[in-house]
Amino acid sequence: MYEFFTTTNLGIALLITGQVLLIVVPLLVALAFLLWADRKVWAAVQLRKGPNVVGAFGLLQSFADFIKYVVKEIVVPAGADKFVFFLAPLLSLVLALVAWAVIPFNEGWVLADINVAILFIFAVSSLEVYGVIMGGWASNSKYPFLGSLRSAAQMISYEVSIGLIIIGVIISTGSMNLTAIVNAQAGAGLLSWYWLPHFPMVFLFIISAMAETNRPPFDLPEAESELVAGYQVEYSSTPFLLYMIGEYVAITLMTALITLLFFGGWLSPIPGLADGIHWMFLKMGFFWFLFMMTKAVVPRYRYDQLMRIGWKVFLPLSLAWVVLVAFFAQYGAFWGTYARWTTGG
Amino acid sequence: MIRFEPDRSQYPQPGDDGKIEIDLETGKYLKLWHGPNHPGITGNMSVELTLCGDEVVEGKTHVGYLHRGFEKLMERRTFIQVFPIVCRVCVPEPDFNEWCYAQAVEELAGIEAPEMAQWIRTLILEMGRFNSYMMAMGGIGGALGMGVIGQWMTYVRDLMLDRFEEMTGARIYHMFILPGGVRGHLPEGFSERMEEVLQTAERYLADVDKAMFTNAVFKARTKGVGVIDPALFEPYGVTGPNARAGGVAKDLRKDAPYLVYDQLEFEVVTETASDIWARARVRRRDIDVSIALIRQILAKMPKEGPVMAKLPNVLHWKIPRGETYVAGESSRGEYGYYLVTDGSGYPRRVNVRGPSYTHAMALLEHLIPGTNIADVAALMVSLHTYPPEIER
Repeated sequence: MYEFFTTTNLGIALLITGQVLLIVVPLLVALAFLLWADRKVWAAVQLRKGPNVVGAFGLLQSFADFIKYVVKEIVVPAGADKFVFFLAPLLSLVLALVAWAVIPFNEGWVLADINVAILFIFAVSSLEVYGVIMGGWASNSKYPFLGSLRSAAQMISYEVSIGLIIIGVIISTGSMNLTAIVNAQAGAGLLSWYWLPHFPMVFLFIISAMAETNRPPFDLPEAESELVAGYQVEYSSTPFLLYMIGEYVAITLMTALITLLFFGGWLSPIPGLADGIHWMFLKMGFFWFLFMMTKAVVPRYRYDQLMRIGWKVFLPLSLAWVVLVAFFAQYGAFWGTYARWTTGG
Repeated sequence: MIRFEPDRSQYPQPGDDGKIEIDLETGKYLKLWHGPNHPGITGNMSVELTLCGDEVVEGKTHVGYLHRGFEKLMERRTFIQVFPIVCRVCVPEPDFNEWCYAQAVEELAGIEAPEMAQWIRTLILEMGRFNSYMMAMGGIGGALGMGVIGQWMTYVRDLMLDRFEEMTGARIYHMFILPGGVRGHLPEGFSERMEEVLQTAERYLADVDKAMFTNAVFKARTKGVGVIDPALFEPYGVTGPNARAGGVAKDLRKDAPYLVYDQLEFEVVTETASDIWARARVRRRDIDVSIALIRQILAKMPKEGPVMAKLPNVLHWKIPRGETYVAGESSRGEYGYYLVTDGSGYPRRVNVRGPSYTHAMALLEHLIPGTNIADVAALMVSLHTYPPEIER
C-alpha cells in the first residue's frame, strides 16, 4: 500500500488529490462559519441580532446562502465580454485557494514544503488582482470599471510594503520556508516570536493585509456610498459567490500569514505547554476577530488618502526597517535576535 | 502630514469666464449618475456627475422623482383636512410642518393657543429635532462607510418614537398639533420615561463621540472637505446648522423667539471651519442642546390647564382674507409656511419654504465641482437635506 502511494504515478496523484481535499474542504467549511461569525460580530456591534433563523443560532445561514446563490439565475449584462466575465471570479477563487498549498498548519503538516514558500504566496496573491480588474472590465459598466481600476492600484501599492515587511522576517530567519520561519521563533514562548523584534512592522503588516484584501477601512473597490458595490455590481448568483468565497479565503490566508510570520504559528505562547495545530487556529481566529471588529467600526478612507498612506508612509517606513534589520543581522545586534540562523534558532 | 498635490495639468482648466468647458467627445470625461436609486443618496433625487479621473468637474442635481403636488392638494381641502398632507411634506421631521401650518392658520383666524398647548408644542418640536439630528448623524456615518453610527442612532431614535407613540398614538406622522392647540395632555409618568430615553441617548452619543470625532479616518475624510464660504450664506440662502458651522450664530429660536423659547435657556452652537466636520460637530452639539431643552421644558411646563382653544365648527370654518408667513428654526434651517386665505373655507395658497430646497440644489451644484467622487455622498448628507421636502 505504501509502495503504491509513493512510487506509482497514479498513487502519487491520488495522494496529492487527497491532501488537497484535506485542506480545501475543511477550509471551505470553516469559511462558512467564519462568514457567519463575521456577520454576527458586525450585527452585535450594530445592536442587531444577525443571522439567527437557519439552524441553532443561525449557524447554517451560510449554507442556506450557498444554496440560494447556486440556484439563482446568472445575469450577464448586455455588451459584457462573456468569457472574461466568467473567468474573472473563477480566477479570483482559484488563486486564493492555490496559495494555501504552502501554508503549514503544524510541524510537517504542509502540502508543498518548498523552500521559496513566501515567494510563491507573493506571486499568487499578486495575480489575484487580475480577478478583480478582469471582472470590472468585462462587466462593461461604469461603476465596476472604476472599482476595478481602484482595486488594481490599491492591491499593487500595498503588496510593495507587504513584500518589504516580509523581507525583514526573511533576513531574520535566513530562509523563505514558512516552517523554518516558525521554527526560528521557538524558544521563550510568546517573547521569542517575531512580533517583538519586528514590533512596528506587525501593525503595518496587519493594516496592509486589510488593504490587500479590500477589507474596511480600505474597501474602496466596493465602496457602497460611491460605487454601489464596485467590481461586483454586475455579478449575481454563482459568479458572485465565487468572488465572495475568494475574498474570504484571501482574508483567511492573510490571518494565517500574520500568525506564521509574526506570532509563531503553531508554537505555544507559554513555554512548557505543548505546541500544536490548535494554537495556529486560535491565533488565526483572533486576527479574524480583529478584522471583523475593524470592519464594524471604522469609516472608509478616500482613494487619494489610501494611496498616500501606501506610498508615502508605509513604503518609506518598511524600507527603512529592512535596512535596519539587515544592519542588526549583519552585526549580530541584540544578542542575535535579528539573525536567528546564527544562534541556531 | 505630507500634503499631496495632484498634477492638475490633466484636469480641465477654466476658461476666461471661469466656466469649465466639458466636451464629452474627448473621452477624458465620464458621466456617472448618483441616484435616483443609489446607496449614497438620501431619498429620491439624483446627482449627475461628470468625472475627470476621480475628480468631479460638474454635478447637476435632478429632482422630480418624488413630486406629489402637496401644495396644490392643500388648496382643495378644508383647513383641518390639510393636516394629513402637511406632516408628509417632510418625512423625518413632520412636526415642524404641523406647527408652522397650525400657527399660520391661528394667526389668520385670530386664535391663540393656550399656554399649556404652547409648552407641549415646544416639547414636540424639540423631540422632533432630536429625531431629525439622529438621522443626520447616522447619515454622515453611513456615507463614510461607518454604518454602525446609523444603527446606534436609529436605536435611540426608536426609543424617542416610542415616547411619541405614547403621547400621540403615532410614531412618524403624529398630527398632534392642530390649530388652536394640541390634541391632548402628556400621559402619566411621561417625564420619567423620557428621562430614561435621554440617558440612553447620552450613553450612545458618548460612544458616537469616540467612534466619530476622535477617529483619525473620520477626521481625514471630513476636515477641510466641502467648505462653504461664509460669504455664500446670504446669496445661497444657507440657514440653520449649515450656517452655524460657518460661524454665523443665526438661530430663529433666539433671534425671533416663537412658542415658549423666550422662557428657555440655551446656547446657539457654532463652529468656524464650515466643512463637513464642522457641520457634523454642530449637529452633535445641537443634540445636547435639544436634550437639555427637553429636560428644561418638562421641568418648567405647567402641570395642567386647557390644551385646546375654542374653535368654530371646523367643517364649516371660514377664515377671513389675509396672508401670513410663519417661520421657525427646524433641524435643517429656517422652515416656513406662507399661507394666503381669501375668506372661503379653503386655503387660497400654501407655500412651503424648506431649507432642503436651497441646500440640496443650487448649493450642492456649487459645492460639487472639484471634490473627489467619494466625497459627494458625504457632502450631500452633511448638508442634511431631505428630498421629499424639496418637491412638495
